[in-house]
Amino acid sequence: MSAIFRHIGKYAQLMGNTFSKLERARVYKVLIPREVDKIGLQSLGIVALLSLFMGAVVTLQTASNIDSGWIPRWTIGFTTRQTMILEFSSTIVCLILSGKVGSNIASEIGTMRITEQIDAMDIMGVNSATYLILPKIVAAMFIFPFLVIMSMFLGIGAGAAIGSGTGVISLTDYIYGLQYSFEPWQVSYALIKTVVFAFIITSVSAYHGYYTRGGALEVGQSSTRAVVYSIILIMISNYVLTQLLLL
Amino acid sequence: MIQVKNISKSFNGNKVLNDISVEFFPGNVNFIIGRSGSGKSVLTKCIVGLMEVDQGDIFFDNRNFTLLDRWDRKSIRQEMGMLFQGSALFDSMTTEENVMFPLKMFSSMSLSEMKDRVDWCLQRVNLEGKNKLYPSELSGGMQKRTGIARAIAMNPKYLFCDEPNSGLDPQTAIVIDNLIREITYEFKSTTIVVSHDMNSVMEIGDKINFIYEGNLWWQGNKMDILHTDNQEINDFVFPSTFMKEIRDNLKGI
Repeated sequence: MSAIFRHIGKYAQLMGNTFSKLERARVYKVLIPREVDKIGLQSLGIVALLSLFMGAVVTLQTASNIDSGWIPRWTIGFTTRQTMILEFSSTIVCLILSGKVGSNIASEIGTMRITEQIDAMDIMGVNSATYLILPKIVAAMFIFPFLVIMSMFLGIGAGAAIGSGTGVISLTDYIYGLQYSFEPWQVSYALIKTVVFAFIITSVSAYHGYYTRGGALEVGQSSTRAVVYSIILIMISNYVLTQLLLL
Repeated sequence: MIQVKNISKSFNGNKVLNDISVEFFPGNVNFIIGRSGSGKSVLTKCIVGLMEVDQGDIFFDNRNFTLLDRWDRKSIRQEMGMLFQGSALFDSMTTEENVMFPLKMFSSMSLSEMKDRVDWCLQRVNLEGKNKLYPSELSGGMQKRTGIARAIAMNPKYLFCDEPNSGLDPQTAIVIDNLIREITYEFKSTTIVVSHDMNSVMEIGDKINFIYEGNLWWQGNKMDILHTDNQEINDFVFPSTFMKEIRDNLKGI
């Protein structure tokens, strides 16, 4: 139990250092766009691919499970929309990104730690926490919502293409289902979740990387821990945010 | 000048540094030597502030470093340069970007002024024209020299070198040693070198501090080493019969 509190304390201290005593603004003008590219733009492919297939599969599975003639066909479009907006594009995409981005951040910072690059920064008088971690957090909180919006469009679009292409639903019914009982707040809810998840993924992964001790083996362990703890915290905060924002 | 006064440091009740007091003078290459695990690296890390001391004080030109918080230490840190055992170059940056890093962070130079400064530093360590190479494209000796170039970019008053010759062949090691000595005399910097390499100590050491089991056991210069009766430093510096014979022959000169 004391280990949990020790981790929470160290994490809070690291975040305190990250958001205080910032370096010059011109430093971040270079670093943040670089991180946006690394964290966000280089994840476009995987997010797009998963979203396309997930939208298509949700459409087909919903269609295959509607046996009753009492349930209208437009329910397929409605279900695809709700699945993509409420859970897949925000939560599941962020879980996937925690694997890709989180492990990358932890191993990058962890390697810098064990090769004394972080010590070199500290000795020069650079606040290594704010230099290394802040641009990643800002970049992820900025770019993840765009990835999620793209995922929503691609998933819903793929559902429409596969649904009408295979003949399980007409395009008119699908679009009717998409529009049925649409609440824009649900998109806002998904984006709020995404921003919180982006913070969790980057900060937790950075924490595990920053406090790596040892060698290559420990960097690998930090990377694994970063992904595991990010996923756990995403699931817990997903529940809390849903309770707070939707009910 | 760096003054270390009565510092102690323990890990989990195990005392690693025991009431050490020592002074390091500007324009001198000051060596800290000792066996593995004797506490010399911990002493250096305490001096540069990577570790906090349990008790005692460290003064940089009469400024008490131990009393300052990490933010207030920034101005003193900007007067430090450090060469790490593994060079600690930023592997995502080129040689030029590595040397330019402290200038970008702390100086008010324009880009062209920074480039001129980088070129001067690289030329000073005989690496002119290597600006665009990444650390992975450099040999071990070139990485060390890049590390020195980065360390001197801000004209450091205090230069720290942690095992500067580890992993280098004897000839390259002498090149690095000479560079450290030249820079120390040129910048009048207070240089502290942590090393096992007795060849370096005898080549460029002005003041030698021998740490033994967490205590400052012996101090002197390289000629004193030849004549001391201290058993521990004799065992460390002249561990083999062959080396003892060399010492005895030198004593006779």
